Amino acid sequence: MAAWLLARLAAALAIVFTVVTLVFFAIHLAPGTPFLPTGDRPLDPSVEAGLRARFGLDRPLGAQYVRYLGALARGDLGESFSQQRPVALALEEAIPNTVVLATTALAIDLLLGLAIGAVQAAYARRRLDTLLTHTTLFVYSLPTFWLGLVLLLVFGQGLHWFPVGGVVDPVLHQALPPAGRLLDRLRHLALPALTLGLVGAAGTARFQRAALLEALNQGFVKAARAKGLSESRVLLGHALRNALLPTITLMGLALPFLLTGSVVIETVFAWPGMGKLAADAVLSRDYPIVTATTLAATVLVVGGSLIADILYAAADPRVGRERAR
Amino acid sequence: MTALPLLPLAVILACVAATVRLLARRARSAAARRFFASPAAAPGLGLLLFFVALAVLAPLVAPYRPSAQLDIVGLQSRPPSWRFLLGTDLFSRDVFSRLVYGARVSLGIGVLATLVSVTLGAAVGAAAGYFRRATDAVLMRLVDVGLAVPKIFIVLVAVALGRPLGPVPLAVLLGLTGWFTTSRLVRAEVLSIREREFVEAARALGARPWRVIARHVLPGATAVLMVSAALSIANMMLLEAGLSFIGAGVQPPVPSWGNMIADARDLLTTAPWASLFPGLAITAVVLGLHAVSDGLREALDPQARGADPALAAGEPRSRERRLGGWVARR
Amino acid sequence: MRRLAPLALILAAACTSRGGGSCRGEYCGTVVFAAIGQPASLLPPASDHILDRDIFDQIFLKLADVGPGLNTVGDSGFEPLLADRWDWADSLTLRFHLNPRARWQDGRPVTAADVAFTFAAYTDSVLDAADRINLVRIASVTAPDSATALFRFRQRYPEMFYDAVYYLRILPEHLLRDLPRSQWRNAAFGRSPIGDGPYRFVRWDPGQSLELAADSTFFLGRPHIRRLIWRFAGDLSVAVTQLIAGEADAIQVLVSPANIDRARRAPRLALYPYPGSVFTFVSLNLRGRDGSPPQPIFDDPAVRRALVAATDRVRMTQSIYGTTAKVPPAPIPEEWTSLWFRDLPVPPYDTAEAARLLEQRGWQLGSDGVRRRGGRRLAFALAVPSTSPPRMQYAQLIQEELRAVGVAVSIEEMDNVTLQARLHSGAYDAAIVSWATDLTPSSGMPQMWMTGGGSNFGHYANPAFDRWARAATTAQTRQAVTAAWRAAFAVLAEDAPTIVLSAQDNVAAVDRRVTNVRLRPDSYWAYLRDWRIAPDQLIARDRLVR
Repeated sequence: MAAWLLARLAAALAIVFTVVTLVFFAIHLAPGTPFLPTGDRPLDPSVEAGLRARFGLDRPLGAQYVRYLGALARGDLGESFSQQRPVALALEEAIPNTVVLATTALAIDLLLGLAIGAVQAAYARRRLDTLLTHTTLFVYSLPTFWLGLVLLLVFGQGLHWFPVGGVVDPVLHQALPPAGRLLDRLRHLALPALTLGLVGAAGTARFQRAALLEALNQGFVKAARAKGLSESRVLLGHALRNALLPTITLMGLALPFLLTGSVVIETVFAWPGMGKLAADAVLSRDYPIVTATTLAATVLVVGGSLIADILYAAADPRVGRERAR
Repeated sequence: MTALPLLPLAVILACVAATVRLLARRARSAAARRFFASPAAAPGLGLLLFFVALAVLAPLVAPYRPSAQLDIVGLQSRPPSWRFLLGTDLFSRDVFSRLVYGARVSLGIGVLATLVSVTLGAAVGAAAGYFRRATDAVLMRLVDVGLAVPKIFIVLVAVALGRPLGPVPLAVLLGLTGWFTTSRLVRAEVLSIREREFVEAARALGARPWRVIARHVLPGATAVLMVSAALSIANMMLLEAGLSFIGAGVQPPVPSWGNMIADARDLLTTAPWASLFPGLAITAVVLGLHAVSDGLREALDPQARGADPALAAGEPRSRERRLGGWVARR
Repeated sequence: MRRLAPLALILAAACTSRGGGSCRGEYCGTVVFAAIGQPASLLPPASDHILDRDIFDQIFLKLADVGPGLNTVGDSGFEPLLADRWDWADSLTLRFHLNPRARWQDGRPVTAADVAFTFAAYTDSVLDAADRINLVRIASVTAPDSATALFRFRQRYPEMFYDAVYYLRILPEHLLRDLPRSQWRNAAFGRSPIGDGPYRFVRWDPGQSLELAADSTFFLGRPHIRRLIWRFAGDLSVAVTQLIAGEADAIQVLVSPANIDRARRAPRLALYPYPGSVFTFVSLNLRGRDGSPPQPIFDDPAVRRALVAATDRVRMTQSIYGTTAKVPPAPIPEEWTSLWFRDLPVPPYDTAEAARLLEQRGWQLGSDGVRRRGGRRLAFALAVPSTSPPRMQYAQLIQEELRAVGVAVSIEEMDNVTLQARLHSGAYDAAIVSWATDLTPSSGMPQMWMTGGGSNFGHYANPAFDRWARAATTAQTRQAVTAAWRAAFAVLAEDAPTIVLSAQDNVAAVDRRVTNVRLRPDSYWAYLRDWRIAPDQLIARDRLVR
């Protein structure tokens, strides 16, 4: 088991390292001098000399690469052109917001999706099932940003149930008691998380329905039925447990969807996370930020799938044993 | 250019409906019958054919040029009427014409990107699955790297380093970033097919590896490829819409369903039709593609409908095989 | 079910409690401004962006400010700020006596050395402040003692006093003297300034908000509004939405008729129309991206005139603004009514004439509809800020109209900070710029169109215009001034260094609970420290004490 874990960890690190290298070469193919703004105000000579020394721009590519790796290891991701401050600082502020959004959306996705899938499996082929099938198909096909705009319009601008953007109220938040602060955060989090969560839940529900139906037809379930257990016990007890494994896999694969979605959703809801940072930076050609967010997204995806693999292995010991070669 | 788009529209609708009915009735093979038995498959196919017809016949259906600003003072943001079937947008452009030409762009990007990604994915997956050992290891490591970076960021990096891409380069870039899942699916299929007797026979007869792959192995993976392709078109269209919405995709004045929604974003309360119809169009096409892919899965591969716990053990990578049809929207 | 009860109680308590708010009386209140885009720097000479100016004008003081009559001629219409009195030592020397109670927010007194230091900074060519060209007629600023500042002029002219006081926001010498001027634009001081004004800098959350707090010991009187918060919105529509939803209290310009309508229908908002000080134009970069002439397309006045003739600016402005904006005859705002000459030689809208002009200059129509001359396409990039929906609209309208005469325009969207940087460095082809003017054309016009002007982004250089502008700023009678400006604008109309798009009405919206609200077209929140919120009108965020 431990050997398998180490192997997975090594593979994850190798992937991140490869992406880091690819990003380095991508930057050096860019027009203009790498790490310096393209066509912006010419830098003060002392500042430019400082940047050149820091990044070793007059040295051969190999030496620059080593420096680049060293800088990354130190946490130095360069300076943002449009924000005039270290990229690491901007990421430090943005990543927690995206993680909060993604985790909440994932929770909604999982709970709602499982629930709907279970209901559909229980009422298989009856009218409720058909209705839910069509509904989940429709919701799953919606562009997330469009759903976000509609929800923002109806619940934010229209009914004023939720605020129209941001992560906390810039005025009141500091002065609220802890419970009030939590509520403030939840109110701001609700719409963006719901948008991503609903679409994800529709997909999960579609999958869960099939998975549960499959599990319900397995031998051990038939045996449970024969023993006289009630249908719901059968469903909840046996079928769900066996549908758990693929669900873990599905969750591990949901992270790229959430990160991709975050780029657009955070723009719609003015949620100051990694996605909005990247989207704003693209238009300003601020490639230190864009490349840094790409790296961060990669690390998150790799980390997420590593966790999913560990959970999977914990749930199914056969995997661990087979991997131990 | 006709003044009344309703007539060609009605004709197209009728033709599409008739075609689908005909195909359903004439379905002879078991697979085709299973396809049409799937609940939403026939309507989904109809939706798809309708939009494809619209895209192809755009010059005949659209009454105005998509970028024509007809009367920037008098005809701004007009609601739907007989003259403007879906209303006009902020720049007094006919929403219906833009929708129809936008279908060319959005569908075109989706299809082209999928062609690139499916071709690459099939080739890589087949090579990895057939040759195994070193080739397999190297290629699958590459796939691991590719799967680790969410597609949208690669396009964002490309735009940030250069400039916004035209529709064709954008489609090719999306295709180059989207082949990884397909390759895993194909690899899994190829791994199982290569053990069959007819493949052994072909190899024994001395056929070259790629010939064996092309003629004997890949055809068995068609089912997976078709389902994967349908889902891929949907994904690529959604991705392009999102990119165009934030301004990093298709640039104005070329209409794409994504940038139409972006243009009309401020008018959600005052002129909802300008963003409602492109959004509905995207939803309709994606819905059709999902319905068709469901049908294809049922038709071509009825065993792989869901998770079989007995198969859950084994290589984690083969999880994708069973989740294959469901692994979408990345 | 029983387990839910305590949770519900906590939530209820959280909702009903007004949290930490106990401020009562006259000096409470939080005003939230809905701001568009991001500030770049709060160090005054390092930025010419409106948002930055709105904020740093609450932190730094001038020597004196224009009075309610908005009279910029002579020295009687001005009100004391840092200087509590002034006199003329001789016809060319102005003497300011600083208020002895003026203090920097770190406790040190404000001295004349600060004034001299500020003048040196604003006129330093390395820093290249936007207002530098407006200070050329001041020969020197000296500090004979710590409470007296002497301004020596090169000549006498009507707006001498205005030039001396209007541009300089006095800076703390003791905090900035060790910072090399070349680093002022990116300096940390600009992100955390220390001034001497009615408000202190508290906090800046990049991308979110910026907070200032009232200085209760401010020597000219404690401000009534305790806190000022600027909320940054991605663009104008989001800002107006926040305003209407009650998440912001004020916005200085609503811009479009749709927004004005929405604000009018919101019961808690009061609208304040005031003289329009903003105009929008297309800045053409006459020098080219790599900084050296000639710019292959915009170098030719005939081509520039053709571009003006090809765009139907009246209809475009009508389409975007309805009746709340007009097309001025020169790059000037509505408030300079006496300068709206009707007979300037501006090329009228005539696409046939535009095509003819382009053909004449050798730009032939190609098979793809784009004109070419010797292998070069008549194509350029139009930069526009994503924060401004009206300017984004202009971009698409202009693109389509120019396409009809064979010019290919590609639109480059970017955020406002990047656009500022590009304008200053010259890394653009054409850009749609909105400009908020000062009270008199003699500040602004030279800055923007004279050779070497700090805001002359396109590097327009015409000695004829320079002569007339100089004459206009120093002429002694009103008729002479008007005549000089007419001649100067005629040069601009002929030369067409810019495509003038619109001059907008200004309509601000402020929450009704805020009283004593006055706005000035050149400095929106100049009278902020007089604003009040009556104690019985305080809402939750007003009562916060921190």
